[in-house]
Amino acid sequence: MTETRKNSILEALKGRLVSAYEFREELTLIVKKEDVRGVLRTLKETFSYDMLTDLCGVDLREPPRFAVVYHLHSMKYGDRIRVKVRVEDGDEVETVSDMWGCADWLEREAYDMFGIRFKGHPDLRRILLTDDFVGYPLRKDFPTEGYDFDRPFEVRLEEEMA
Amino acid sequence: MREYVSVLITLLFAGFIAALIVFLSHFLGERRPGKVKLAPYECGATTIGPTRRRLAIRYYLFAMLFLVFDIEVIFLYPWAVITRNLRLFGFFEMFVFILILFAGYLYVWKKGALEWE
Amino acid sequence: MGVEELERNIIVTSLERLVNWGRKYSIWPLTFGLACCALEFMVAGSASVDMARFGSEVARPSPRQADLMIVAGTLTKKMAPMVKRIYEQMAEPKWVIAFGACACTGGIFRTYNVVQGVDQIIPVDVYVPGCPPRPESFIAALIKIQEKIEKETVRERKLISIP
Repeated sequence: MTETRKNSILEALKGRLVSAYEFREELTLIVKKEDVRGVLRTLKETFSYDMLTDLCGVDLREPPRFAVVYHLHSMKYGDRIRVKVRVEDGDEVETVSDMWGCADWLEREAYDMFGIRFKGHPDLRRILLTDDFVGYPLRKDFPTEGYDFDRPFEVRLEEEMA
Repeated sequence: MREYVSVLITLLFAGFIAALIVFLSHFLGERRPGKVKLAPYECGATTIGPTRRRLAIRYYLFAMLFLVFDIEVIFLYPWAVITRNLRLFGFFEMFVFILILFAGYLYVWKKGALEWE
Repeated sequence: MGVEELERNIIVTSLERLVNWGRKYSIWPLTFGLACCALEFMVAGSASVDMARFGSEVARPSPRQADLMIVAGTLTKKMAPMVKRIYEQMAEPKWVIAFGACACTGGIFRTYNVVQGVDQIIPVDVYVPGCPPRPESFIAALIKIQEKIEKETVRERKLISIP
């Protein structure tokens, strides 16, 4: 990312950032939960970051507990930027699934693994685990084997249950 | 006619062998039906909605039209073999025949039966 | 008088041998590759290690047309009902190979979403350890299945069932 582009981004988002840092030519912006949609919309429309490459959750164990990380990529300029937002356990973040279509399933994965809810999401339900799974596995207090590892695994098919 | 008796015997024999295999496996083979086994196959998932769809009618239409014009072509072949002997009269006879079928073809075309969509 | 109560005289054993010969040299596998072990299965079907010379000419995608189900790869709890359903939809006689460490016992994945071995839900005939097993191991498993079929008797599977 060129120095001028970085400065223009920081200038345009001046009041809305909690902090920003750069490590090895990767710029990371930390924003507040309420400003997430505004900041991402500015980045998408003004600075043409038109591709969301990843949306993931992180469990940091210290309050506010979770972080949602958005990785954006600009196909026009060929550079990337990262946006982080800290969320409390039980809080909701606004969805970006109307701005980028892939955010639909990425947010479902963040919900499935961490329990982070997204306000305004069209279909927020589990995507990788079975529908009757209890718990959010990628949280740091969830054991690797799960809670019912000792019980034998059984499968009941719907046709036989009817 | 005598030469074709052997063909008939071969045909009957082949039909008998095929029927024997099918009926033997039907009556002597074991059958263990189960509820899940008879359910329609959808790569392991449960089906949503009815599993049989109606086929488009245009396949049947095209097959019928093909049959009619194929029979017409079959009539053309023996005529083509002896057309020299039939001279001008035979030529016009076949011309009238094709004309009648061509009228039918024009009707089908104008009615839109040849549209695929 | 059921067929199971027949004594094993020369007619029945010869018929058994004939039927088992036919069954063991024409096993059609059902491709059920779940993860990386599926690629080793694909190599076993390709030219260098050829499973077609053992009778597994075609790998059928449909359970209705296959004899041998090869579970190759990690089985997750979300996929488990589908495996069971496809196993039930196969026609008898059918056999199962658990191919790879994850299908045998869950492999290195002692986690919340991995079934610890496919034999928790379906009966398995031959286990092939390895991560992933070499394609030659697959041929060894196929030969073991053939040996198992060779020794099948009328008591386990009926030859004919008169209605």
